[in-house]
Formats: sequence, structure tokens, C-alpha cells
Amino acid sequence: MSTAKRTEQDVLQSLDEKERTLLKRVLEIERARLHISAADLTDDLLAEVKKVLP
Amino acid sequence: MRLQSITLTNFRQFAGEQTFDLHTDAIKPVCLIFGANGAGKTTLLNAFTWALYGTMSEDVEEQERMVTDSVWRALPTGDSVEVAVELTFDHEGHNYRARRRARLIKDSDEQSAPSADIELWQTKPDGSSESDNAPQERIFSILPKGLSRFFFFNGERIEKLVRKGSYTEVQQDIKALLGLEHVERAIDHLPRVDRKLTADLRKHGGEKANQIQTAIDELDERQSSEREELKVLEGDLATLTEERDSVLELLRQNASVAPIQRERDRTATDLTDARARHQVAIRERATLVATSGFIAFTQKLAQNTAEMAADLYQRGALPAPLKREFVEQLLADGTCICGNALTEHTEARHQVEDWRQRAGLQEVESAWQQLRGQIDPLLGARQQLRDALEAAVRRVTAERDQVNRLEEHMSELDGQLKEIRLEGVQELETKRKDLDNRISRKQERIGAIRAGLDEIRKQIEKKTAERSRAEVTDELAAKARERSDLVQSVKRALEEILAIRSANMRDKLDRKLKDTFGKIVIKPYEPRLSEDFELALYQDIDGFEMSVAKSTGENQILSLSFVAAVSQLARELRTERRAEGDAPDDAGTYPIVMDAAFGSLDTNYQREVSRALAQMAPQLVVLVSKSQGLGQVVEELGPYVSHLGVIVTHTTGSADTSDDIELNGAAHPYIRAHADSNHAELKVIK
Repeated sequence: MSTAKRTEQDVLQSLDEKERTLLKRVLEIERARLHISAADLTDDLLAEVKKVLP
Repeated sequence: MRLQSITLTNFRQFAGEQTFDLHTDAIKPVCLIFGANGAGKTTLLNAFTWALYGTMSEDVEEQERMVTDSVWRALPTGDSVEVAVELTFDHEGHNYRARRRARLIKDSDEQSAPSADIELWQTKPDGSSESDNAPQERIFSILPKGLSRFFFFNGERIEKLVRKGSYTEVQQDIKALLGLEHVERAIDHLPRVDRKLTADLRKHGGEKANQIQTAIDELDERQSSEREELKVLEGDLATLTEERDSVLELLRQNASVAPIQRERDRTATDLTDARARHQVAIRERATLVATSGFIAFTQKLAQNTAEMAADLYQRGALPAPLKREFVEQLLADGTCICGNALTEHTEARHQVEDWRQRAGLQEVESAWQQLRGQIDPLLGARQQLRDALEAAVRRVTAERDQVNRLEEHMSELDGQLKEIRLEGVQELETKRKDLDNRISRKQERIGAIRAGLDEIRKQIEKKTAERSRAEVTDELAAKARERSDLVQSVKRALEEILAIRSANMRDKLDRKLKDTFGKIVIKPYEPRLSEDFELALYQDIDGFEMSVAKSTGENQILSLSFVAAVSQLARELRTERRAEGDAPDDAGTYPIVMDAAFGSLDTNYQREVSRALAQMAPQLVVLVSKSQGLGQVVEELGPYVSHLGVIVTHTTGSADTSDDIELNGAAHPYIRAHADSNHAELKVIK
């Protein structure tokens, strides 16, 4: 994993469409629930994985 | 987050309900509020943090007295009163109304600390509002409490931000502000998702796939537990390093004050000796006076005696013409020198007996002669006494002067030592060695865990590749494997994104810090933010980089520059194109509310700081006194001001201390004496 030269955009470009979609959704869900420290997001994230790869 | 308004209800000295509009725009981002010392500027600053977090800064005294004193006094026992602060603001496209309030029932003249509740409503575009069920958590997510230090602060105390010991905390706060926390949490949560997904693979994937997945699961578990341990170790290491730094600081202070301490010890010994010599001199003078002091009073006596002797000689009484002893002998022999018998009761004997009365005693004559002989030495002794007394007085004075000098020197040295807390050097050295050992052990363990994690990561990749190649006939298991591969891939990408964002964040913060600081400070100093978020100032001296010992003013400017850099970076990072997709227009926007913004800065720095302040934050609420805010500050901030206000001090004082403030070409009340009660009035000027 080289971080010296690569940018965040480079990392995103190196992902395929499904990976990019899941990554974006994971971050959205995490950010939306950041204020609930006790939240268990496993099922929400699992549902997203199943949506991306039905 | 952009503030829209603040409403105070019986909050500290703000009696009744008082509202101040805080809406600003990009052209005029500043709200400027004036207030005399004690008017309520610090209270207003603390009203923001109390509303959001329920806390006030340590410098607010008697924090349990939340209700305005005059309101509390007027309240009948058994009745209740409300204390509240309501804030309206918008954040990332949503309007919010936050209210923290408490209702207090009066059971005595003393107020007890209120238990206040927070409520939060999100206002929808149609005007309806929806209450938030986790209001405090929501506020924390909008602006984490730890970060409020960057946005609600007292300018006179801001230099604490750059003090040693704050870095670890600051680093964590900034992580949350700049959008790294949710990435970290995603990386923590995805393995749990993967575990659920791969359950099907273990169950239906066949023996080979099952074996591989079980191995991956074990590796995942080890990875999670080692990551947890790594976090704890890094926290421990930070604590130990801070402790070691403070011990080193004490040792440095010890080393730097050692010569002063030695000099003080020497001076203390000299002072004891000088005081003893002074006492000896006083005693010697006393002895001299006691034993020879009378000589000072003998001048007249000696003169009289000399005159008497001279008179006796002159009259022929001395030396005596006939000695009594000679007459006594004649009477004893019974024969006069003329041959006559000196028979008892004869005329001749009577005549000779008369001579006995008139004759002089040999002893008396000798005594007179001796006395006469001592008169001159006595006069000499007076002179000697005078000389000896003068010498004794000179010595007493000299010793007294020496004592005074040494006492002054001692005071000076004590003053230099007063601020420095000294512990035994030996004890500190032992502590330092112990901390060094503990730090070294932690570092070794951290190194080992990192190497272990790297190895685990490689093994997981290897096993995942093996898993991809393993024959899986069951459809459900194949799907589980495909999904797990997707999750692993996303997790790896997130780890890389976290590393990129962390490095970028520090570099950008460092550049912005240099930029802002350079615009304010005229000296050729360069601030630097280390990897551990330690702020330091450097200067180039003949090609050598040397660290600069910061003054309070420089620390304030450095802290302000840091706050400005954090504020700007929050906006930039939150709005730039990122993995999360496009951000709202106001993402990363936070107001800055500053009390005593100019702290103890010189007037030349006040101008530069004012100029920087206006460009510092998307919204700025500045609370200043007349002496700090008029002149340079109003001149620089004036064009950017949306709202102008005064916290008018109403005092019951009978002395005519009333004062006005000239703003926008008109005089406005600043202090009003002869009021019915002591309270503050938030008056809107513009």
C-alpha cells in the first residue's frame, strides 16, 4: 500500500464500480450515525453489501 | 455550523429574556459586541458552550449561581424560575434550534447547581420542526465538544492550546473535525460485516473453503485484538511521553536554576554570618558604653579636681608644712623639738596637740599627688573612648549595611526561584530513567505489534487469494465469497484513504499555519507542526535552525494562527471532492466566538490580528472592551461587521460611573449607575 504518491482520487479510480459504490455508501452511513456512539451498524452495512451485490 | 441567534433567559447577569441576532454573510462575517470589564462578555461566551455542551470554562466563578441574582432575590420562596440559553444555527443544509434550560425552585437564598436538559429541533423548509431524540449526540456530531476549544475561546487564555501536554488531545480533536473519525469507524466495522457474510461460506463452502475461511477469521480476530492493543499502547505511550517531557522540563529548570540556587545558599550563609557580626558589633558597643561610658562625663570632674589641687598648692596646704605622723611622735615621746616636756594638761602639750589637728596626713598628701597625676591620663581616656565609640558605631553601621545588601540580594534570588517548582534532582532523574524504560518497552511492543499486523495483513491477502481459487460449488457460498471479497477490497481502500487524509491534513495544516502566522508576525520566525502535532517556532541564525522561546504574545498569535488554519482547513477538506461524494455548501463551516480576542497584544499586533480575524472564519463573534476594541480594531473589523452590540452594565453603585461608547457616530450607554439592580443588558446597535 503506497500512500506517498497516490491521492484519494487515485485510490477511488483503482476500484471498480461496485467497490466505489459500496465505499461511498459505507462512509455515508458511518457519517450519518457518527453522533450515535453506541450504534451497531453491522446490519446496515451488510444490507448495503447485499444491495451492491444482490 | 453558522450561528443565527442566541437568546438568554435569566442566564447569570442577563436578567429576563434577551436575544441577539447573529446572522452574517460572506461579505460581512463579523458580529462585534462591546462590554466593560465585568459586563458579561465571558458569560456570553460561556452561554454558547453551556447551550451546546452544558459546561462553562473554569474561569467562571460560582457556577451554581446560574439565575440572575436580582431575579433570584425577588423570587418568593417556593416559586420557580427558568434559566435557559437557546441557540439557532444552520449546519450542512439543516436549520437547528438548541435549547438548554433548567427550572429552579427556590428553597433558600442560596442557589443550587441546576440540572439542565438539552432539546434540539430540526426545522424543515416548510417551517415545521422535528425534535431530535439524541440531541446531545447530534450536537457532538455537528461540533464535538473537544473541538469547541478552537471555536469558543478566551483570547487571554488561548495560548494554552500550544502548551505541551495539549498535543495528543488536539490531535484527536482535529481528527474528528477534519473527517477522519468516520473513516476509522468504517474500518473497525467492516470486519464484523465480513464475519457475518462468510458464515455461509464456512457452512456451505466445502471443506477446503471452510478451512481457509476459518484461518481468515482467526487472522481477522488477531488483527482486531492487536489493533485494539495498539490503540491502548499508543495512548499509554502519549501519556508516558508527556510525563517524561514534564520531568525533563523540571530537570532543565533545575539545571538552569542550579547556579541561582547555589548563589542563594551562599547568600543565606553570608546573611547569617553578617547578622551575627552585626549583633556582635552591637554588643561590643554596649560593653564599651557600660564599662567606659562614664569617662565621657569626667571632663568637668577632672577640671575641678585639678583646680582644687592647684588651689591647695597655691595656699601652701600642699605639700603640707608639718606631717601629722611627726606631731604624733612628739606627743608619744613627750618631748617637743624645742626640748620642752609635753606633759599632760600643760600649755606646751596643748599647743603641740593643736598642731596635730592642723598637720597634713601623709596618706592624704600622697593621694592628692596621685590624683593630680591621674587627671591628664583621664582626659586622654576620654579621647580614647570617643575614638573607640566612633569605631564601634562605624562597625555596627557597616554590618547593618551588609545585612541590608544581603537581604536585598536574597529577595532578588528568591523572586527568580519563586516560579519554579523544584524537586530533588536525584528523584527526578530516577523518575526520568523509569519513564524512559517504560517508554522504550511500549515502543518495542508497538513495533512488534505493527510488524505483526503487517504480517497478518499479508496472510489475510494470501488466504483471501487462496479462497478465491478454492472450488466452491454451493451458490450461496460462492455469493458469500464474492461479497466478502468486495468488503475486503473496500476496507483496504479505506485504510489507504485514511493514511492519505492523515498525511494531507497535517501538511496542509502546517502550510496554513505558516501562512497565517507569517502575515501577522514581523519577526523572521517560522512555526512548524510536528508529526505529533507539537507546535514550535524556529528561526534561522546564520544557516542554523534554532527553536525560539515563545513569549505570551507570540504564543497567542501562534494559537490564533492555529485556530485560523484549523478553521480554513475544515472548510477546504469538507468541501473538496472526496470518497463520500459532494459535500453541502457549508460543510466544514464553523463560527469563531472570541472573548478578549486581543488578549495582551501590543497595538501593532492588534491591527494585524484584526485584519487576520476578519478573514479567519466564515463567521466571527468578537467580544471586546472599549479599551481593546476601539481604534485599530474597529477600523480593521468595521467594514466586515453585520451586527454591532453593547452589553450595557447596569450597576446599583451610587458613584457616578456612568459611561457611554461612541459607535457609528453616536453615543450609546456603556455603563449605567444608580440602577435598581446589578444586571447586563444586551443592546443591539446595528
